Amino acid sequence: MKSPPDDESTGLPGLRTWRRVYLFVLIVFVAWVGLLTVLTRMYS
Amino acid sequence: MNALDYLILVGSMLAIAAYGMWRTRGKSDFNTYMKGARETRWLTIGLSVMATQASAITFLSTPGQGYGSGLGFVQNYFGAPFALIIIAAVFLPIYRRLKVYTAYEYLGHRFDSKTRLLGAGMFLLQRGLGAGLTIYAPAIVLSTVMGWRLDATIICSGLLVVVYTVTGGCEAVSLTQKYQIGIIFVGMIAAFIVLLAKLPPGLGFADTLALAGGFHKLGAVDFSLNVDRRYTVWSGLLGGMFLALSYFGTDQSQVQRYLSGGSLRESRLGLMFNAVFKIPMQFFILLLGVLIFVFYQFERPPVYFNQAAWSHEAQRGSGDRLRALDADFTAAHSEERRQLHAWLDARHSGNGAAEAAARAASEAAQRQGEAARTETKAVLGRAGSRATANDSDYVFITFILDYLPHGLIGLLVTAFFAAALSSKAGELNALGSTTTVDFYRHVVRRGAGDAHYVAASRWFTAFWGLVAIGFALFAHLAENLIQAVNILGSVFYGAPLGLFLVAFFLKRVGGTAVFWAALAAQALVFALCFTSISYLWYNLIGCAACILFSLLLQGLIGMSGTGGARTATP
Repeated sequence: MKSPPDDESTGLPGLRTWRRVYLFVLIVFVAWVGLLTVLTRMYS
Repeated sequence: MNALDYLILVGSMLAIAAYGMWRTRGKSDFNTYMKGARETRWLTIGLSVMATQASAITFLSTPGQGYGSGLGFVQNYFGAPFALIIIAAVFLPIYRRLKVYTAYEYLGHRFDSKTRLLGAGMFLLQRGLGAGLTIYAPAIVLSTVMGWRLDATIICSGLLVVVYTVTGGCEAVSLTQKYQIGIIFVGMIAAFIVLLAKLPPGLGFADTLALAGGFHKLGAVDFSLNVDRRYTVWSGLLGGMFLALSYFGTDQSQVQRYLSGGSLRESRLGLMFNAVFKIPMQFFILLLGVLIFVFYQFERPPVYFNQAAWSHEAQRGSGDRLRALDADFTAAHSEERRQLHAWLDARHSGNGAAEAAARAASEAAQRQGEAARTETKAVLGRAGSRATANDSDYVFITFILDYLPHGLIGLLVTAFFAAALSSKAGELNALGSTTTVDFYRHVVRRGAGDAHYVAASRWFTAFWGLVAIGFALFAHLAENLIQAVNILGSVFYGAPLGLFLVAFFLKRVGGTAVFWAALAAQALVFALCFTSISYLWYNLIGCAACILFSLLLQGLIGMSGTGGARTATP
């Protein structure tokens, strides 16, 4: 059986494709911006 | 610092140097010297990329940025996750497939020799100047700690870095970077905990945030569209993304880090590690600066954090004026502290009117204190004191030396210098590698043996170290250090990024068009330096101009039939 190409395997449980990894990174980013926005609104 | 602190500092520095030299003894294989063993795992790559960027300047200057201007600087990093995703998905597979030593070799594959030399030359110019700043940062610490002159400190610390880099080499430094950044994190967290413990009794975390917010330190995001504002969400997303794309994608000091990965997967995950943790790390460091600001509202700070410069001038003609301003500052700070305690009591007792009155009175006193500080800076500036423009870079080290216990002081100063040496070594090694691979081996002497090129790279590394020392000696910084580094990067990163984006995405554009387009775009960015446009936009404008000019020139060349694109793609 052929092993998956080098650039296809992430080896991460739940994030098996690179698209999912990139999406996860973007979700974390949006969460941070949201938290910082709340902090700014609360204390400005 | 006492004997224990010096023991930790000197012992660690010598151990790192000895370890570097021991691990690289007898190495003369060019491939290993340039790229390492190419077996590096993703966590090491991720921490190495982080350690190369989060140098001593990050550690020293960013808390001062938080102290002076609050959290807004974090927006500068909003574009980084997007840039790192683009690099992982597009740039990285091409670099690995071509097995290049430097990013600029790719430009030679895609375009021609002159475009490769232009890209490499712009890197050498920008990074050679930037390397001076990373020598300047530890020199500030040493001059404060030892009471030495800044210029003498620059020479001594710079030569130490050069000797260590040339003799120890970059490979050993890369191996130690993950431990060094571990020490930095431990030191920063320890400083954070000590800082919280030293806040006045009764001042809870919510009170601390309310106080900091009242002094406009917690404005982390700004959605306004004003391009004259230095840090907004939009400048961070767009300008910051182009800055990060240039730095992580085309700067050899970073490319060299992730090209050492054992596979594409390891390199990609190392980059994604930074995409996730870069913003929280910068936020944490800025928050540390904000907490130091709150702490110094209750403990009297020096009127000028660069106390060596203040003391030097106080013994000269401006001494009477400086002492009078110091007395004004002390009186204003005492009044502010009294009013802040009254504010705290009123807040805890729920007396809204008294809380508002005390807050207004404390702000008025704080303004008086700031006026004394501003006038002190002006007096020092008129007296010709060297490092007068921005003393926020001295805030964190002053706090460390005045309030942390011995042993922990040694640990933090050690971590600071370990970070400085490791990032400096990486930069100098990248400069040496690029000079060797893209100029010496490509233009001057082809076909020599590995040992010859490794020796040449060591000589070039030493040369760039001396250039960096020279720049640090003559640089007079009008900006906070961390901003100065970003400004320098923004001026020189846009056009080179345009070169790479044209190479990756516009296959019909050839070398001649993109070469002249990059030069024209760089000239445009130089012109922008004389306008009020925030520096974060320089990358975007420089890059966009390079792409646009390339298309126009390629169209003209096509019409005249004098040249065309190289059709072969990597």
